[in-house]
Amino acid sequence: MENMSPEEASATLLAADQARTTMAQGLVLPSFLFASLGAAVALQLATTTLELVHDSVAGRWSLAAGVVAYLAVAATQLVRFRRLNGVWVGGLASRIVGGTAPAAMAAYVVAFVLAAWAADQKAWWLVVLGAVAGGAAYAWSGRRWWQNYLGAPAAHARAESAALLATIVVVALGGLFVLAAGS
Amino acid sequence: MLGLDTHVQAPARLALMTMLTAVSEAEFATLRDRLDVSDSVLSKHVSALASAGYVHSRKGVHHGRRTTWISLTGDGRAALSAHVAALRALIAGVE
Repeated sequence: MENMSPEEASATLLAADQARTTMAQGLVLPSFLFASLGAAVALQLATTTLELVHDSVAGRWSLAAGVVAYLAVAATQLVRFRRLNGVWVGGLASRIVGGTAPAAMAAYVVAFVLAAWAADQKAWWLVVLGAVAGGAAYAWSGRRWWQNYLGAPAAHARAESAALLATIVVVALGGLFVLAAGS
Repeated sequence: MLGLDTHVQAPARLALMTMLTAVSEAEFATLRDRLDVSDSVLSKHVSALASAGYVHSRKGVHHGRRTTWISLTGDGRAALSAHVAALRALIAGVE
């Protein structure tokens, strides 16, 4: 190794890069990952919207049910991914499941605002449409992130920092509190 | 060979560390199968890299049995980047 030639260096580097590519491209996604997350997010959007507009005991139960359903789907799919592959990918957990990819966050906020406005106007069909569209965009964002990950795994493997995740949670809860207080 | 890291020079160690950049954490058997090496060979590489502070290993469970999960540390990530840069410089003929 002391006298490694450029050819040897090139071959070593190529083999290492191929090992990484093979590792990433060999990963298997759990069945119905995107569909189940999209459906769970749509349900969570709809139930949260209903609770904000019609604050009641039943509304609070529906909000809790929506959150629990989303958390159950998220946890199940993450456990399945880990069991299937024997690896943990923080980027997948935060961006696909947690929805911290910019496109997923933007889609969620737009769908939530649309659904909340529609509920306030008693346009229930538009609440459903907004929630479904939000869930579909969330799933699409996850699928797009996965393609980006496969193209450059090292650049996408890690999750955001704990500080950024905490900021996102605080901003989301703050926004929810402001909406609840104003409704 | 300025910049080449002796801890990472073995091709299997370079491949192991490069593979770990694609994930946050990987289970021992998964790495062994992907690298196509024996348990003892992988164990030796992991121990050497852990001693250098380049990887972190912890005991965990996979498919109901006890196993070891391995991840790259911040120091390992930096060392890998420096080593790869040195290899690229060597390939480009720059000392």
